[in-house]
Amino acid sequence: MRLLPLAALLLPLTAAAQGYRVRVDTRWQTVAYRGVALDSIPVADTVSSPGGGPVSSDGFAVRCPPGAAYCTFFRPGAIRRGGPATSTVEASAWVFGIRGLSLRATGRVGVDLGTADVWPGTNPAVQLLEGYAEYAGRRVTTRLGRLIIPSRLGMTGFDGAGLTVRDATHGIELQGYGGWGLARGVALPATSPALNPLDDFQPLQRQLIVGAGGGWTSALADARVEYQREVDPHARKFVSERIGFDGALRPARDVRVSGGADYDLAAGWWGSAEAAVAYVTQRVRGTLGARRYCPHFDLWTIWGAFSPVPYRSLQASVAYAALSRFELRGRYERYRYDEAATETPLFNAKRDGWRAELGVTATPVPAWTFDAGYQREYGPGASVAGTAAAITYQPSRRIRATLLGSSFDRPLEFRFNDVGVRTFGLDAQFATSERFRIGLTAHHYSEAHHRPDAAAFDWNQWRASLRVVMAFGDAADLRGLPPSIQMLPGDRSARTPQ
Amino acid sequence: MSGRIRWLGLTFGCLAISAGSARVAAQGPAGFDHARHARVFPSCTACHPGAENPDTTLWPDPVRCTACHDGMTMPRISWQPPAAPHPSNLKFVHDLVPLMTRATPQGPQPLGCRDCHVPAGAGPMDVHRGLPERCIECHAPGASHLTAPDTVCSTCHLPLVRAASLRPADIAEFPVPPSHNTPGFVTGGVHGRLATGTSQPVAPSCATCHARDFCLTCHVDAPERPAIQALEPDPRARAIVVHLPRPPSHDDPSFLTRHGSMVRANPQQCATCHTRESCVTCHAPSQSVGLALHPAAPDRAIGAQPRRVPPPSHRENFVGRHASVAAATPATCAGCHVRSDCLQCHRPNAAGPAGYHPVGFLQRHPAAAYSRETRCADCHNTGSFCQACHATAGIVSNGPLRAGYHDASRTFIAGHGQAARQSLESCTACHAERDCLTCHSALGGRRFNPHGPGFDAQRLRRKNSQMCTVCHGSAIPDN
Repeated sequence: MRLLPLAALLLPLTAAAQGYRVRVDTRWQTVAYRGVALDSIPVADTVSSPGGGPVSSDGFAVRCPPGAAYCTFFRPGAIRRGGPATSTVEASAWVFGIRGLSLRATGRVGVDLGTADVWPGTNPAVQLLEGYAEYAGRRVTTRLGRLIIPSRLGMTGFDGAGLTVRDATHGIELQGYGGWGLARGVALPATSPALNPLDDFQPLQRQLIVGAGGGWTSALADARVEYQREVDPHARKFVSERIGFDGALRPARDVRVSGGADYDLAAGWWGSAEAAVAYVTQRVRGTLGARRYCPHFDLWTIWGAFSPVPYRSLQASVAYAALSRFELRGRYERYRYDEAATETPLFNAKRDGWRAELGVTATPVPAWTFDAGYQREYGPGASVAGTAAAITYQPSRRIRATLLGSSFDRPLEFRFNDVGVRTFGLDAQFATSERFRIGLTAHHYSEAHHRPDAAAFDWNQWRASLRVVMAFGDAADLRGLPPSIQMLPGDRSARTPQ
Repeated sequence: MSGRIRWLGLTFGCLAISAGSARVAAQGPAGFDHARHARVFPSCTACHPGAENPDTTLWPDPVRCTACHDGMTMPRISWQPPAAPHPSNLKFVHDLVPLMTRATPQGPQPLGCRDCHVPAGAGPMDVHRGLPERCIECHAPGASHLTAPDTVCSTCHLPLVRAASLRPADIAEFPVPPSHNTPGFVTGGVHGRLATGTSQPVAPSCATCHARDFCLTCHVDAPERPAIQALEPDPRARAIVVHLPRPPSHDDPSFLTRHGSMVRANPQQCATCHTRESCVTCHAPSQSVGLALHPAAPDRAIGAQPRRVPPPSHRENFVGRHASVAAATPATCAGCHVRSDCLQCHRPNAAGPAGYHPVGFLQRHPAAAYSRETRCADCHNTGSFCQACHATAGIVSNGPLRAGYHDASRTFIAGHGQAARQSLESCTACHAERDCLTCHSALGGRRFNPHGPGFDAQRLRRKNSQMCTVCHGSAIPDN
C-alpha cells in the first residue's frame, strides 16, 4: 500500500491545458543506522574500572547520580536498515487562453521501503511543496496557492497569495504576500504531529503571515529590504516580527561588496548579519568578510527566553588558478561567541573556534578532473579534521563517473565519542537523452567509535542510491524563458524536453 | 576600313604568336596544350573563329582535330566544345574588341589576342583565359587586379547577383583582395567604411563579389544598414564562408563584468553581431539594456551565439555564501535560475545522495551544526528532521536528564549554561522544553533564571505574553 502513491506519481501526467511540462525525479537509497540505547543497572551491580570509575559488569561506563538506586549508561543501539524513496514531481501547465497564466506544482512522495522507518522526512508520505496559479506579466506577477518566498529571513512557506510589481526600467521591485504559514524548513503546518516527535508544546492553529519587501537594482548597487510578521490567531500574539536589509555594491570592475542584516523586532535584538568584499578575476578569487550568527526562535517556543548569544567571525577565502586547468584554494574562518553571562564554575565550554580548508582541483585533460582537499574545524561542541579526494571522468555531458574517498576524525566536546570515518565509493550518472537520466552511487562507510569502555564500537556499512529523472511535456512554456534557463546544464537539463 | 585593318592586325598578331618560339608549356583553360600545338596552328582565329566573328562559335570544330588525331598518326581524342559558356561574372564579349584600343608609344593600337590572353612578357602560346592584369593595364594603370579602385570593378564585372552562370563553388574560389587582410578589416569597422565610402549606397566593388546574404552571415543589424540593404539578396553569396572572430575586447578577462557598461556606451556596436537573445542567454529578459539590441527575427541573421558560463563569483564556496547576494539581487539570480533550483537544496530530500552537503556529511555534521556554519533551519525543520532522526538514534532526552549522555564532564549538567546559550539550536535537536523547565521555571523546580544578555522582558511580554506564562503563570514580572 505504501508504494501506491509512489507508483502513481511515477506515471507521466498529462494536462488538458495548451501546454504542460512534468519532471519526475525519483530517488531511492539504502542506508543502515545505528545509534545508542539507554540502559540501567542497579548501583550494586556496578564494578570499579581500572581508572576508578563505575562500570557495568560488561564494561560500560555508567553514571550513578547521587542517591539514585540505578546507574544509567548507553549501549550501542540496534542496527536499523532503511530504504527511503522519494519521488519529486514538478508539474506546470499554462496558457489557459490567457497569456502569462500558468499552474505550477511541486510535490513529493516519500516512503521508507526498509525494514524500519528510520529516515526523517518521510512522514507524511505525500507533501505539496509548492502549488500555485501564477499570472506573470511584464510589470506584475501574482501567485495564489502554496508558495515559498525566499529572502534573507529564510524560505517562508505559506498558503496564500503574493504580488510582485516591478519597474524594470528603474530597477525597482515591490513585493507583498500573506496567508497561513507553514513551519520552517518543511512544507507542513506548525500544527502537524510530524513536527513533534518529542511531544513538545505545539501551537493550536497555523500562524498568519504577512510580508512586504522592496528592492532596487542598478549597475552600481543593489538594495533590498524585507519585513515579515507572523501572528498566532489562536492566542492573538506575535510568532515573529523581523526586518531584513541586504545590499551589494560594485565600486570597481572586479570588486563586489555585499552585506545584510536582520533585526528581530519581537525580541528586540539583531539577528544574523554579514558583510564581505569579494575580488574576482579570471585567475584570482578572494573574499574577506565578517559575519554574525544569531539563531531565531518563534515566540510560541520558550527558547528565545534563554537568550541565545551570537558569534562573530572573520573569514577569508582565496582561490588561485595558477594554470588554466589547475586551481588552488583555501578558506579560513575564526569565530568567537559573545559573552554568555552564565555562572557555571564547574564547567566551561569552548567559546571560540575556527574552520579552515585547503583544496586543489586539476583538469589535466578535458575529460578528467582531480580534486582533493583538507578540512579542519575546531569549535565548541564538536570538531572535525580530514581529507577528501575525488577523480571524475566525464567524456560528455551525458556520462559522468566519480571515484571518491575521504577520511576524517570527529571528536565531540560534551561526550566521549571520538569517531573516525573512512569512506570510499563511486558515483555514476548516465543520460540517454535530455528526457531521461539515471544515477547510481555506492559508498562504503567504516565508522569507528573510540571510547575507553565497551560503548566503543565499529560500524561499517554500504550505502547505495539510485536516481531516475524523467521529463515530459511540450516545452512550450520555455519559449518565453531565457535560453539560459532552457539550457541549464547538469541536473536541470532535463527541463528541456526535445 | 579601319575595322578591317584592325582585324587584319589581329590575325597577323596571332600569326606572330604562332610563329614565335613558344617554349613555355602553357595550358589553356580547357586543358588544351597550346604550347605543344604551337607549330600546328598559325593563328588564334583559325581555331577560335568566334573571337573574330561573333556569328560563329568560339570553339574549334572537333572534326579538324581528327586530321591528326585519327588513331594512326596521333591518338584519337574525344574533345567536344562546351555546351554552355564558361561560368563568369565578366561583362566582356568579343564583339567589343573592335571598339577597344591599346595605348602604345606609337598611339592607340588595335587589340590583339595576346593583349588579353597572354601575360605580359610571356611567350605567345602561354595562353590563358582573359587575364585581369592585362585588363588593368589599360583600365587602371599602376594597380593590380585586386587593388584597383572601386569604380573600376564594374567596368569588367557584373554584380554577383547578375552573374547567373556562377555556381557557388565558383564564388567560393573568388580571390581575396589584399584589403580584406588588413588589420581591423572585419571587426574594426574598415569594411564598413569601404562599403559606405563612395557616393553610392554601397561600393560597387562590394557588389562584385558579395550580395546581401553574405552580410547576413554576421550582421544581425542588416535590416537597419542602408549599405547592406542596397545589395540585392542572393543565397549564392554565402558560398564565401567567413568566420566572425571574437573582437579583441571580448578576450579581456574582465569582459564578462564590464560588458554591460560597454553596451550602454555604444549599443550599436554590439547590435552588429548580437541580437537581444544574446543578452537573455544569461540575463533576465527584463534587463532594459538589452532593449537596445534588435530582437531575433526570421529576416535577421542569427549572429553571435554566446555561450553561457557561470560568472566567476559562482565558483569556490559560492554555495555556502550565496545567501546575501541572492537576497540582495533576486532579479539577477532569476536571470539564470528558476524557483525549483532553490528548492533542490532548500528542501531536504530524505532519499537524496550527497548533493548540497558533501559525502559523509551525516557522520561529521555535529561540527557544522554546533557552530551553525549556515542556517540549518532554512532547509531542515528541527522537529521533523533533527529530532526525528536523533530519536531514532536514541540520543534525544525522553527520560531523566541525568542519564549521562554528556559524559565528557561529570559536571556538564551543572555547567551547561554557556554551551546552551552558545548553541541553543543544537540543544533543541534533542531536548524538549520540559527538559529545561525542570530547573528553569518560576513555577517550580530550581527556579533558575534563564534570561541572559539582551533579554527584553517588556518587549517580549508585549509581543507574546503567552510565552511568559509557561514559566511565570499569570504572575509575569515587569522585567
